[in-house]
Amino acid sequence: MKVNFKVNGEEVSVEVKEYETLLETLRERLELTGAKEGCGLGACGACTVLLDGRPARSCLVLTPEVEGREVETIEGLKEGEELHPLQEAFIERGAVQCGFCTSGMLLTAKALLDSNPNPSREKIKEVISSNLCRCTGYDKIVEAIAEAARRLRKGQDVGMEKESH
Amino acid sequence: MILPPLQYRRARDLKEVWELYELYDGEVSFLAGGTDLLPRLKLRLERPKAVIDLKEIGELQEVSEDEKFLRIGSLINLFDLRGDERVRSLFPALLQSLEATSCETLQMRGTIGGNLLQDTRCLFYNQSEFWRRAKGFCLKMGGQICNATGGKECFSNYCSDNAPALVSLSAEVRLLSPQGERQIPLEKLYTGEGERPFALLPGEVLAEVLIPKGESKGGYEKLRMRGAIDYPLVGVAFSLRDGRGKLSVAGVGPKPLLYEVDELTEGGIEEAAERASHDARPVGNASLAPSYRRRMVKILAKRLMGGILKEAER
Repeated sequence: MKVNFKVNGEEVSVEVKEYETLLETLRERLELTGAKEGCGLGACGACTVLLDGRPARSCLVLTPEVEGREVETIEGLKEGEELHPLQEAFIERGAVQCGFCTSGMLLTAKALLDSNPNPSREKIKEVISSNLCRCTGYDKIVEAIAEAARRLRKGQDVGMEKESH
Repeated sequence: MILPPLQYRRARDLKEVWELYELYDGEVSFLAGGTDLLPRLKLRLERPKAVIDLKEIGELQEVSEDEKFLRIGSLINLFDLRGDERVRSLFPALLQSLEATSCETLQMRGTIGGNLLQDTRCLFYNQSEFWRRAKGFCLKMGGQICNATGGKECFSNYCSDNAPALVSLSAEVRLLSPQGERQIPLEKLYTGEGERPFALLPGEVLAEVLIPKGESKGGYEKLRMRGAIDYPLVGVAFSLRDGRGKLSVAGVGPKPLLYEVDELTEGGIEEAAERASHDARPVGNASLAPSYRRRMVKILAKRLMGGILKEAER
């Protein structure tokens, strides 16, 4: 069946199996391989994309469900050739090792910062608590997200609130 | 993981749901958030001819109030429900159970109806078809014995965090089917049988969860190994309203258990917690030892009720 939806701002119309997950469609039909299959059951978060701005496990969404909806993948995070501050901070802070969890981490973090520009470390940890990482030990990821939040606040001239620990 | 072949149908209203139900001879699964259904499909625990997506049905997505109840549409997702001012101020047990459910990302997709109607779980059941065929099918799969105990009773665990909270709040559920409408206390929804946990009529849809209005004190305690994602290994909820307390325990066995706590005193709390712990029948079908889970029923119940008692005394 045909499904029409938006991916990273572009309208697409894809012929899919009725029993295909959004993850399969993104990876195999649209060649957007940033989202990964880590567990297939929704537990690990490697498949996380943004669906209408909210993080969603693409391995648990049937593609026909996203008719008319907006999907954002990691490929859409950068603006033209410029990396998003989250991506810059992840690289600078050593928050990427094998990279398998990274797409999911970045998109989950982006959704957080879009609604909460000054999250505490505790809040960051809570929000990414369902994105599993086997490599980094998480600390550098949390720092990178906090750093990206600082840069975004500076860039938008939002008043610097005192960060709680 | 690849899904098994099936058809996808989207229903615009309940009438269409039941037309599709007829069309496929009842061999359908209802799709809400999909966070329980899709893993089941991937593991081949369920083989419907079609999934019927309920998410366009407006009447299942309203939150309203009448004189007696806060009425919550079954398709409201858990994350949004957490943000509802009435839930936050009136029903602390439910707020805490919503916050404890899984993780934010899955709360944004999972619905309250789907959370209540999740299937029971067991280490020997929630496995791939290959694994299960190698082991031999258990009672819940239509076989002859329980693979966890070797016996003739199914001990699969009902792992909704929100069910015990809602039971402690005397919640009711409104169910709709081609045969009509009924409204029952939530605890009557359960059969107590792991093989078929819910007493639902063919094609029946859980339409609304109704919580009697009025402030409550209460809370929810969850035994889990990780701070996110995990199902409850024991889930204990307590609500105190008009001096009467209700304690509910889930995660151990196929249905939540309910205890009236008439005396919120140290003695009354000890007695209720002891009863709940005594009645719990955990077996080796979850990630922690049964003896530990049994002991934690009592410890969590005492801790929870003790905390509410202190709060009530202030």
